[in-house]
Amino acid sequence: VRVIVRVCACDCVRVIVCVPSLCEDLLSSVDQPLKIARDKVVGKDYLLCDYNRDGDSYRCSTEYRDLYFEGGVSSVYLWDLDHGFAGVILIKKAGDGSKKIKGCWDSIHVVEVQVRAGAPLPVQTGINNVNCFYLPNLGNMDMENKIRSTLNEIYFGKTKDIVNGLRSVQMLADKSKQEALKNDLMQVLSQRSKQQS
Amino acid sequence: MTDFEEPLSDEEKVRIAANFVTHAPPGEFNEVFNDVRLLLNNDNLLREGAAHAFAQYNMDQFTPVKLDGSEESVLITEHGDLGQGRFFDPRKRVSFRFDHLRKEASDPQPYEGETALRSWRDACDEALSAYVKEHYPTGVCTVYGKTVDGQQTIIACIEGHQFQPKNFWNGRCRSEWKFTISQSSAQVVGVLKIQVHYYEDGNVQLVSHKEVEESIVVTNETQTAKEFVKIIENAENDYQTAISENYQTMSDTTFKALRRQLPVTRTKIDWNKILSYKIGKEMQNA
Repeated sequence: VRVIVRVCACDCVRVIVCVPSLCEDLLSSVDQPLKIARDKVVGKDYLLCDYNRDGDSYRCSTEYRDLYFEGGVSSVYLWDLDHGFAGVILIKKAGDGSKKIKGCWDSIHVVEVQVRAGAPLPVQTGINNVNCFYLPNLGNMDMENKIRSTLNEIYFGKTKDIVNGLRSVQMLADKSKQEALKNDLMQVLSQRSKQQS
Repeated sequence: MTDFEEPLSDEEKVRIAANFVTHAPPGEFNEVFNDVRLLLNNDNLLREGAAHAFAQYNMDQFTPVKLDGSEESVLITEHGDLGQGRFFDPRKRVSFRFDHLRKEASDPQPYEGETALRSWRDACDEALSAYVKEHYPTGVCTVYGKTVDGQQTIIACIEGHQFQPKNFWNGRCRSEWKFTISQSSAQVVGVLKIQVHYYEDGNVQLVSHKEVEESIVVTNETQTAKEFVKIIENAENDYQTAISENYQTMSDTTFKALRRQLPVTRTKIDWNKILSYKIGKEMQNA
């Protein structure tokens, strides 16, 4: 997995230099690992993405991030729409490199909030209040947990299954004997339970 | 960084194209080749400039091929490369032409190989083939007896793959094992590689390799072959077990270190409550 993350950014550049006309399409549809930059004025790290290339930045509530990520860097960028607002929430957490393990979790959540006519509006005395009102709804859309579980069980689980399908530690002859024995046992057990009932 | 406005030379473009091709995941060479062909939009350039890359890919991957009328496959590797697009099968003692794009063998000719090493090669091949049948559902092995750098060497190559593009996955494992027979005490050197790609609604690759070194006592052909295979079996079993254990570790520690399933408090965040203490803190720090 590490090899692929490292290669991805280079591959994008390689395709673009071969076919410059694909530049915009490629950059907007392929997610690169999030880059960290430093705001020297405030002395804090923030994350770069397509959405804050020319906009303002606003550092998000770190409570959620610290509880789930115990550290890491996060940034939120919001912009107005005609009937509401949209935003992107970025989170980057790198493993601490201990125990010879290297890893990185990048989240890019893109959110659109539509305010319908007639709906109660929050009193806008400052950007803080807008965030407060909508935060519980955004927070409860727990996509990250679903993705994390999916990653763990399906994606990683599946690759492990494939590896064990390529080679068997147990001798294949023994494996098929074991399977046959298991099937026989199951048959006997199910016949017995039928007789008893 | 490259200035995107300056057009790239043909040479550089085809080098990039070749690079993409040599890194194609197992079973996906054709897809990568076709995509690269579209991007480059110059078939002559691709054919001439990247031919070496197609050959390199097949040799790296230990691509198996069946000779006409044969039930058994032989592996395409650097050890069997005779140049001019020809390879040899040390078991069948035959050389053949190999088409790297079609992955087809043709024009078989007798090929004797190094006769001095034949009995050693045959003994190792027999023992290894039995081992591969016992552990690899779709495995193929090819054993060479060659003089390398003046040393009489046995080189064993094993390959096993499963391609299921309809289910969005492909996987291959390869291993290469060598030892010299010139002295009674030798080192068995092995490299084991696994690559799996799963891309259903996502994109995950496992790429792993391990190097192994074990000493071996060289006596007679049969006994040495038996010990050689024992070393291989133990090392490959250990490697596969270690990979399974790594998955567990990854799930328990690394993954959790990146993102926990539950917060440190062991309960999900109450988003309505979180506001009350958070606003206060931010306003203090502002």
